Amino acid sequence: MPLENRPLDPVPAGAGQVVLTPAREEAAAPTTQVRTLYRLGDPALSELGLEEFLAELLNRVQEALQVDTVAILLLDRESNQLVARAAKGIEEEVERCVRIPIGRGFAGRIAAERVAIFIADVNHADILNPILREKGIRSLLGVPLIVEGDIIGVLHVGSLKPRTFNQRDLSVLQIAAARAAPGIERARLYSALEHEHRVAMVLQRSLLPKRLIDVVGVTAAARYLAASDEVGGDWYDVFELPRGRLGMAIGDVVGHGLTAAALMGQLRTALHAYATENHGPGKTLELVDRFLQSMPEFAMATAAYAVLDPETGHVRIASAGHLPPLVVGNGKARTLDVTPAAPLGALPYGSRREHELTLEPGETLVLYTDGLVERPQTPLNKSIEELASMLEDATTAEECCEMAMEMVPLEGLRDDVAIVALQNGSIPSELHLYPPATAKVLGELRRVLRRWLRERGADDEAIGEITLAVNEACANSIEHAYSPAPARFGLEASCENDEVTIVISDLGRWRAPRGTNRGRGLTIMEAAMDSAEVNQTDSGTEIVLRRRLHS
Amino acid sequence: MLADLEIDVRERVVIARLTGEVDLSNVDQLRAAITEATPNHALALILDLSGVDYLDSSGIQLIYRLREDLRSRGQVLRLVIPSHSPAHSALRIAGVANHVETVESVEEGLSGLDDAG
Repeated sequence: MPLENRPLDPVPAGAGQVVLTPAREEAAAPTTQVRTLYRLGDPALSELGLEEFLAELLNRVQEALQVDTVAILLLDRESNQLVARAAKGIEEEVERCVRIPIGRGFAGRIAAERVAIFIADVNHADILNPILREKGIRSLLGVPLIVEGDIIGVLHVGSLKPRTFNQRDLSVLQIAAARAAPGIERARLYSALEHEHRVAMVLQRSLLPKRLIDVVGVTAAARYLAASDEVGGDWYDVFELPRGRLGMAIGDVVGHGLTAAALMGQLRTALHAYATENHGPGKTLELVDRFLQSMPEFAMATAAYAVLDPETGHVRIASAGHLPPLVVGNGKARTLDVTPAAPLGALPYGSRREHELTLEPGETLVLYTDGLVERPQTPLNKSIEELASMLEDATTAEECCEMAMEMVPLEGLRDDVAIVALQNGSIPSELHLYPPATAKVLGELRRVLRRWLRERGADDEAIGEITLAVNEACANSIEHAYSPAPARFGLEASCENDEVTIVISDLGRWRAPRGTNRGRGLTIMEAAMDSAEVNQTDSGTEIVLRRRLHS
Repeated sequence: MLADLEIDVRERVVIARLTGEVDLSNVDQLRAAITEATPNHALALILDLSGVDYLDSSGIQLIYRLREDLRSRGQVLRLVIPSHSPAHSALRIAGVANHVETVESVEEGLSGLDDAG
């Protein structure tokens, strides 16, 4: 009897199942159809993508064995179940997402014991999947899919008429399984990575700020570059805090991929939320650390957080294992000696010391992640020095970021890179502001004015009182603004021989105060300044306020 | 946000702690929020301005209006404005420091009210 027609050697097994000893490859005569199965091992095929590759496998197996159904179930390692992934003749398996626990039923047993199983009559056999019976399948033959000793799934064929599968059939199915399994694994791995990469990129992008702050006298700039093969956990943030202060944060979650990107998002949100509660940088990092360690699975992260008061240029900053910040301006760049405390997630009770500094007008504070400065065979402090000297001539926050990009290799970025810069710009010696006549501008006007007065040498008391007077004059212009046209009013300030002159002008007419409350504005202006004049001009009202800064 | 408002209710006394800056842009919302937080059965409102960095004439007007609102409901307003606070210098410059009764702390504000409560 020719080899291929010999009946299968049965080994006694569970109800209706026959476990088969593996067939020899020679049992399958190398027909055209069998040759197409050999070619399933061609690596080029697995570049098709998982779906196309499986579809190709189904077709070739069906042709080679002349069967009614072919199905591929792949192992889901997390649940330890086989999941129907591709099928022909029994497409319902995939549509209904059939899952078979390892060790149970027909396919489950093939995977658990890594054996081929033949079922001569489905009606009298132990099978788990009702679809097989519903479709009227009578006979089944299945083999395991194995890659480098690991089970990755099951391939089985079925016949609607009773069929005794022979040695040749088993051999053909084994060839298909052996040739296709590595390709399936490659394609599966590739598509999983591809998917994760895409999700992580979207996540990373959605979490970085869309728009940086826009405050008079302060400018911010930032860059984020993803690594060439994987996203990382870098983030930056710039936000406004109550009373005109600004927060700037940077961080780097250890690790890569979706997990790191997701954790990055949580940390960024947590930091922003705690910062808004007005905790200083040290306390904010402590709270973020506690939040991080409360999560069931956490990774370490480094972070730095700084708060700038634009009125004074005063900065408070704290670091959790992050690289030293840079201060750039006036043709110089220096690294700040900020003792970095332990990274977030490293110690159960970390305290974060705050450092203080003052940004002179025109100076920029720069925070960055290690992706910018880490080079093979170069000590970190050397490449940080290199970065500092590169930024020496930067005159704006934007220039700092742009010049820093020269540190980045043109291709093959191994780690993601984030850099964020905040400049305490200089305020002109004279103010000429024409803001819209709405009460919302008052807060920012006061801050610009306080800063301008401080740079003119005014003390705290003078700053407070002059600000109060100017605010009253502006509020008057706003309340009496022309409607409905969107009106503006003018605020002009100059300082000569230690005397400040501030002129607030509008196109409306000065309204005589009504009642005691309304008159209070003028009282304040007169009390706070050396002189307060209200002039009616042809075009509107002008209030001229004067005060000597030092008596 | 220029200002924050925290409300604390102790028995029949409402303590409203205002921090930040009060000006024309937020004074109406603050007045509405404080009034809203003071129920009809409350005996008194303690308005704590010790954490206020900036107060302009519209903020002073807020104080007067709140006092009128409360008086019409038979309720008392206690103002916590410490002597050297920014809010106090605003009252001084506006020339009303002597017309507005103030206390130095929330505790001082509560002291006379305990018996009533």
